[in-house]
Parts: sequence; structure tokens; C-alpha cells
Amino acid sequence: MKHPAYHLRVNKTVDRLTFIDAVKRIARLNDLAEYTYYGFGGPYLEDFRLLYEFYPEIKMVSIESNDETFKRQRFHAPCNESQLTLRKLNFKSFLARYDPRDEKSIFWLDYTGLEFGNFEDFMLLLGNVSANSIIKITLRCESSDYIGKDAKQEEFRQKFEEVLPYSHATPPIDLVDFAALLQEMVQIAAQKSLSSGMPMMFQPVSSFCYKDGVGMFTLTGVVCQRTETARINAAFKGWRFANLVWKKPMLIDLPTLSTKERLHLQRRLPCAKGSGKTLRLALGYLIEDDKRSTEKKLKQYADFHRYSPYFMKALP
Amino acid sequence: MSQANRTPYQPVDASPVKSFFVHMLTRDIELEDAILDLLDNCVDGILRGAKTSVKKHPYSGFHADIDFKRDSFSITDNCGGIPWKLHDYAFRMGRASDRPPDAPGSVGVYGIGMKRAIFKMGRRCLISTQNDKDSYDVDIDSEWTADEGAWHIPVTPAKHKMPHDGTTIVIGDLYPGIASKFSDDGKAFHSDLERMVATHYTYIIDKGFQVKINGHVVKPRNTRLIFDQKISKRPGIQPFLFKTVDPEGVEVFLAVGFTRPIPSQDEISQDQEEKRYSSLDAGWTILCNDRAVLYCDRTELTGWGEAGVPRYHTQFIAVSGIVEFKSKDASKLPTTTTKRGINTSSPLYLQVKNKMREGMRIFTDYTNKWKDRPEESRKQIEEGEPLSFEELKTAATHLRFSPTKRSVPPGDQYKPELPLPKKIPPKTRRISFIKPIGEVEAVAEYLFEDVTTDSSLVGEKCFDVILKEAQQ
Repeated sequence: MKHPAYHLRVNKTVDRLTFIDAVKRIARLNDLAEYTYYGFGGPYLEDFRLLYEFYPEIKMVSIESNDETFKRQRFHAPCNESQLTLRKLNFKSFLARYDPRDEKSIFWLDYTGLEFGNFEDFMLLLGNVSANSIIKITLRCESSDYIGKDAKQEEFRQKFEEVLPYSHATPPIDLVDFAALLQEMVQIAAQKSLSSGMPMMFQPVSSFCYKDGVGMFTLTGVVCQRTETARINAAFKGWRFANLVWKKPMLIDLPTLSTKERLHLQRRLPCAKGSGKTLRLALGYLIEDDKRSTEKKLKQYADFHRYSPYFMKALP
Repeated sequence: MSQANRTPYQPVDASPVKSFFVHMLTRDIELEDAILDLLDNCVDGILRGAKTSVKKHPYSGFHADIDFKRDSFSITDNCGGIPWKLHDYAFRMGRASDRPPDAPGSVGVYGIGMKRAIFKMGRRCLISTQNDKDSYDVDIDSEWTADEGAWHIPVTPAKHKMPHDGTTIVIGDLYPGIASKFSDDGKAFHSDLERMVATHYTYIIDKGFQVKINGHVVKPRNTRLIFDQKISKRPGIQPFLFKTVDPEGVEVFLAVGFTRPIPSQDEISQDQEEKRYSSLDAGWTILCNDRAVLYCDRTELTGWGEAGVPRYHTQFIAVSGIVEFKSKDASKLPTTTTKRGINTSSPLYLQVKNKMREGMRIFTDYTNKWKDRPEESRKQIEEGEPLSFEELKTAATHLRFSPTKRSVPPGDQYKPELPLPKKIPPKTRRISFIKPIGEVEAVAEYLFEDVTTDSSLVGEKCFDVILKEAQQ
């Protein structure tokens, strides 16, 4: 089975690191040793590697249905079986067996496509996890799948009508707008699964969209008692990536900069206001077609520079 | 003193208790249905007016705006308002027998819709209405709702003049569950309500009525059936049509056909693995005086899985039908009290259901015959044009209908001639035979070096080996 180089995707790497940040915030409220992480790690188990690096106390379970990918996962396991269990089954079968009792979970539903079944899994999971569990869902957010294709737009409506904010909603061209529509769909799914009559609710904590070739949307939230939302919100207070009120997802769109440029800019960071302009002046040249686009890109760098990875040539 | 006067038993008080209306009646209805009842009142208001002579778009120019938030619900329309002469009907709990006759084509029968919707949501309500020279406010407060003895509601001349004749209902002091639904579950509730309005009012919206929910215009969800108008003598894809008028004066028009090409085997198996669509246009939609009381139903209620019609399955995703019942007297329509369901014991509906099944069988049969050749079938279906229900009725005026005297009620029908696949001589033949286990294992060991090899593989390999020899 062929896979893209997930581990070399710049914007996805930033998203992963902000997720690590979100987990750190949750550690203020609960002992992370009480959590188990469940994910679809892909062949390289990159998220598992990161999680083990930052929080070795979290137990981890990988869910994978493909034979060959499963074998590659065994090869890439970042730690031994005492902390990591590799399970070979599909997610629906896993959900049918999943019984957390009072154990807290962290789930990353890292889908590569966009299907109604993804929302069904999410809704089912919300109803099953115990309080203070974290759920992150990632979905494909690629408008070129639909634009100019009437039949595809109609299919989109039929596929997702149960979670669409308006039955005639169609995927917008702009990545952030499409991500905002997907976020509304996730919000509707969450409200349907944990409706206001129930004691638990889904509290969002962050949401992003990015494009490393293909557009993606991702949202992280906490399933908590309705009476506990203030506590959760307090834990995320002051986090610059927090999205506690379902506002538009944040775009991650890092510029391509050389290591030399990055080190040069790093000395000016962080800067509170006008970061795009400050960094453009520091560079002394444009990295995009005009000043505005250059400053926009450099602002992205300023926002996410702490999470931006270095991909370098290494001698084995 | 007579025997009767000596009895300790006196006539008992059987007068209604207000809390029955306020708390009990509201339990039998979902919030979304209660709101649709208010929309029904808007449409009935249009029908009471004199502007409905425009046949094609009788509801054009009329609108209803629904707005909800944590602390209030409101609906504002320009649909003619409530004439003072109807106040007894509009505000009394139930329908008085001496009330003026309904506007032809309306659906209100029981006189509880508006009140039930108000009491479902909150304890306080202000109704402002304007109809010609009548212009008044009706204020129901929480004290009135709680007072068992108070049955008169204060009415005052309207404080504000409206730009058009119409009604505004504002409900406040919402019950906690309703307030949460409008706020904490607001997105999901909006989505559900919008879908219900788009489906149940699809034909009314299509005929010009505009509904907005929290500022968003609701678009209709029309079912379109494929109609190949080019065919003359050859068979082609057209819907089955049936029309009749029953002795009570209810007009019936039925159409069933294909909305899209039949699915390929891949599409069917994908859908079985994982639910591919959250909604489908397949199934039956039943209209009563333009309201869809049932939308895309795929159960026995509409004849699926009964009397020779197969149960609904993804392979029939392309089959869809619409039945329209029209009557000047709403009580003759085969609908339930909520107007969002079909009265299955209605003799008229049961008779029409026979025709629904008859029509459906034509298209399930076609699907079964062509399921192995979906590409050829796709070409036939794509030669046709998807027509809305109104367009179909217009197209039907050029078709030759045959009388159906044997059906009850008698009517006229148009039965299309759908293409039949040519019989292809089979290209394969099954061979099966029985041999002792020991011998099968011996051959398996010889051919596969594995005695546990499946016996069908052993038999097939034997045939292949001999075939190779025979062909050399």
C-alpha cells in the first residue's frame, strides 16, 4: 500500500505539535497517566512517536486494518508493547468493541477522505467516551473535488444532509470557508450526539485547516460534563490557538524559507504587532508576488515558528 | 320527593382543564412539527385571501420568517392576518362546530395547531395580527397559562400598524428544554428544521412561498422523475402515471419512475460496507393539499416489501414516486392530526396504495432485469429529462391515458413501456460432481502439494489441466 510522506508535511507537522500543546493544557486538569491514546498512525506512527517523546506516561493503541501497513507499523514502533499496542482491525470493528468504562481516552480520528461514515464514527464515539476525553478529527477539505462538478455537489448534499447547516450547502472554493463549513458539520454532529438534554457535551478547543498538497481540516475538543466547561475553558485561557466558541478555523500555511532565512528571522520573534511587516523588513526582499502576500506568509511564520519543522539532509 | 332527587350522586364536572392543553397535548408533538403547524397557518391564511387566482405560483409574494434564539421564538408573515370574525376559531382550544367554513385547500381541521405550538415552547406569547380593517394584539401571559379559571384572553387594538396584512407571533418565557434546543443545540436544530421545511413545504415553496429561518432562505427539495419525451414507438424511460377523483371529491395524481440511473454493483457494495448517503431521494412522497405529509418513505407504509414489491434495498436507489391528494375539505385527506403522516386506515389511501405498488413493480422489475448491465441502462435513463411534479403533470396532458375500470376508485393510467434487455446466450456452464474424500485429497496433494486445498479448486484445476491438453 502506497502512502504519501506524512512525516515530511510541514503544515501537518505544525498541526501535530499544536495537538501536543493541547494535551499539555489538559494535563493541568487531569493526570495524563490516566489516559490512553488511540490513533490511525499510518505506516510511520508519527503521532505515536511524538506523543511518546512528550508524554511517555500515556498508554497508546494503534488501529490499522491494512496487512502491509500493519507490518510497517511494527517496524516503526517508537517503543515496546508495555506502552504501545498495535491492533489490526478497522475502526468500525474497534468501536463495536470499545468499552472505556471510566478510563479517559484521547482519540485522533485522522481520516484522509471525507465520508458520511466519518461523522457517524465521531457521533458514536462521543456517546461512548468517558468525561474529560479528548477527540481530534481530521477530514479532507479539498474544494477541487466538487467545484464545476454539478453531480459531485449534489452527491455532497445527499451524502452529508443529516449534518449540513443548510440542505443546499455546497463546498466553497476557499480553503478556510470550506473548513468552516466542515466545522459546522462537526458541530451539528456533536450537538446531535450529545444533545442539550444530556449531562455531557463536546467543547471545542482548537481548529485548523492547512494544505500540504491536499486541503485538510482538523478540530480538537474535549467531552466533558456541562457543568465543567468553565474549568476546561480556563485551562485553555491565553493559548493563542484556542477556539472555544466554534469561530472560523485557523489557517496553517507556512512559507518555504531556507534555514539561513529562518535563523535570521528567529532573532526578531516573538513580536506582538505587525509581525508580517517586521519580518519583511528584516528580510529586505519579497518572498511572494507583492508586499501584502509576503507579509501574510511571514505572519504565518511568526505565528507558528515554534512548531515549524526543519527538514534537512542527513548522512546516515 | 322523587327517587332521583334523593340520590347522593350529582352531575360531574367534565369541563376541560387548562393544564391538559398546556402540558398534555404538547407532549404528543415534536417541536419541529409544532413549528410546521404555525407555517400551515400561514399557508391557510394565503388561501383565505383573494390573491390565489394565479394558478402556477399561487403563493408567490408571500413569506414567513422564523427566528429563534435562547430567550424567544418568533414567526412573522404577510399571509393576510386573522380576520376578527375568525377569532373564536383561531384562539379557542379546539374547533367550534359553528365556525365559518375553511378556505378551499387548507389543512387545518382540529383547531389546535397554533395553541399547541405556543404552549409547546413557552409561557408567554404576543400575537399581533392585521387583516384589512381588523388590527389587534392578543397577549397570553404566564399568569393566564397557570390560572385554571381564566379562559378569556385580553385583546387590545394593535399598537403598531403593519406594512402588509399578516401575523406576528412572539413566544417568550421559554421552557428550559426549548431554550437549550434554540441555543446549545441551535445548529443541529436549525439543520433539522430547515430540512423538514425544505421537504414538507417543497411544493409550496416551489410555487412561490418564501420561508426564512434565522435569515436563511429555505430552498425546495424537489423530486424529479426521468421522462423521455423523444420516444414515439420504441420503448423508453417514462414514469407510470395514475389519476382519479374519488366520490368524496378528492383529486389524486400519482407518478412513479426513476430519478437517476440505476446503481452499479460497486455502488451497492460500497453502500453496504459504509453508509454512503445520509439522505436519499428514493421512496414515496405523499402530498396533501400541497404539503408533503410523507417524504421519501421506503417502508411498508408506502408499499415497499408488500404484495410482490421487494423490500427497499440500495439497488432501488433510483426508484421514486409522488402521490398528490387535493381536496377543498381538508378532513377528506388521508393525513394524521399532525399533518406529517399518512392515515394508513384511510380507505382512499389503501386503494391508491394498490396503484403505487403496481407502478413501483414496473421499476423494481426493470432494475432487476438490467442490474448486470448498468452502463446500457444508464444510457437509456440519461436520454430522458428530469421533470418536476408540476412539469410532469403538464407533460401528462399530451399522453394517452387508459381507463382503469377494475381499480377502485376507477381512474386513468399511463403505463410506460420500458426497454427489455435482449437475451444473451449463457457463456458459462456450471460443472459439479462428487468423489470420495480420499481420492480428492490424493489429487490435491498431486496438484497443490496440500491435501487441505479446497475441493472446488481441485476440480477446477483438473479441468484446466485437461483443457490445456485438449487445446494443444
